[in-house]
Amino acid sequence: MPIPQQLGRGDKMGRGPYEKSGIIRDNGLPPNRPVQENFEIPYPAEYLKKDGKSVTNILDHEMTVDIELIYMPFGEKDSGITWHKVTKKITLEKGGV
Amino acid sequence: MRVVTTAAVMALLALPLLTPLPGQTASVEGRKARTIDELAKMYDSTGCKECHEEIYKDWEKSLHAKSIYGTGRTAATIKTTITVGLMGWKHSGVKKPEDVENRHLAICTKCHLPQLADATDDVAKEIVRNVNIFMDPKSGDDARNKAEQQLIKVSINCLVCHQRNAITHKWVDGFPQKNEVYGSKEGSHPDPGHPVMKKSPIMSESILCGQCHGLGPNFELENPSQCGTLYGSYLWAYRAEGGQESCQECHMKKSKLGHNMQSYNDLNMGKSAVDFQVETLGYIWRDGSKMMPQALVKIEMINRAGHSIPDG
Repeated sequence: MPIPQQLGRGDKMGRGPYEKSGIIRDNGLPPNRPVQENFEIPYPAEYLKKDGKSVTNILDHEMTVDIELIYMPFGEKDSGITWHKVTKKITLEKGGV
Repeated sequence: MRVVTTAAVMALLALPLLTPLPGQTASVEGRKARTIDELAKMYDSTGCKECHEEIYKDWEKSLHAKSIYGTGRTAATIKTTITVGLMGWKHSGVKKPEDVENRHLAICTKCHLPQLADATDDVAKEIVRNVNIFMDPKSGDDARNKAEQQLIKVSINCLVCHQRNAITHKWVDGFPQKNEVYGSKEGSHPDPGHPVMKKSPIMSESILCGQCHGLGPNFELENPSQCGTLYGSYLWAYRAEGGQESCQECHMKKSKLGHNMQSYNDLNMGKSAVDFQVETLGYIWRDGSKMMPQALVKIEMINRAGHSIPDG
């Protein structure tokens, strides 16, 4: 969204159109330019010490992630419109060294 | 240039007439609308429905058809513009809602009701009264409905785009005339109120929409306001970078929405505007001696619209 500058001065965002003049920054999607977003999500795990060594006990090797692109005209998810939704199952290998 | 000549002749013919031709509006005679009803009559587009039924029905579904009432949010913003903005500013000349004149309301109506320029300040005051009733939680249902019905009478209708705002470069192409409608063809038009059909040089150009869908602060106002900045984004982030499509191509033709030219509220417009790719990877990150299982979710979005998203 183009973040409007309040009355064309300073670093504050304007509220209604009556006090918006200028743009502080735009955090929206620019046309025809790829925008990447990365998310790192930890799996549920217990971190233990065994014989003086760190041991990770992974509680679930599978994770299902819903990724949604939601347009929120009023800044609230509940009143938003889902444009895209992708569900991915992400699996960790078992075993290994 | 042919339009200039014809328009000038039509204007000269119209001036000496005491009785306006059917469909000619008060503004042609230099008289301004004094009520919402008069302004609605001056820009009455209901006759268009007779021949352009489908287009008219499409338009009725659009936000253009309720431009000062909107989803309710527009009316709410007009109210805060008055109470928080105009009444709060020392030099605005507005101490109470009754003080609001056209020049004040132009912050909103430059785009939400450009034909207000053809009305007296009484119409601005009537709009303010109705917006206040509509937005007042203490208003009864009946009063609220009446206010809503009054506000919905005036809007961005056929005659705003196909007449009033159909010509941007008036010194080159002539001033729009009240007995003419502007589209893609020249000829006669079987509507007694608008018997002449003219080709608008900008009807399929983005500049038509750009008149309202914003470059930034409206510096022609005594106190500049800025609602949308979309046309600025279209020019500088899309066209300047090689984009070639017009507003009409995406919002009317490709979308098949025609005159119901939705944007964010239409699911298909939203879906088609953004390419959305997701890749995932499960892996175990080693933080020193600690093994930490993680999922990486990589998202790539490419906005295929001709402007930044979101914008307005």
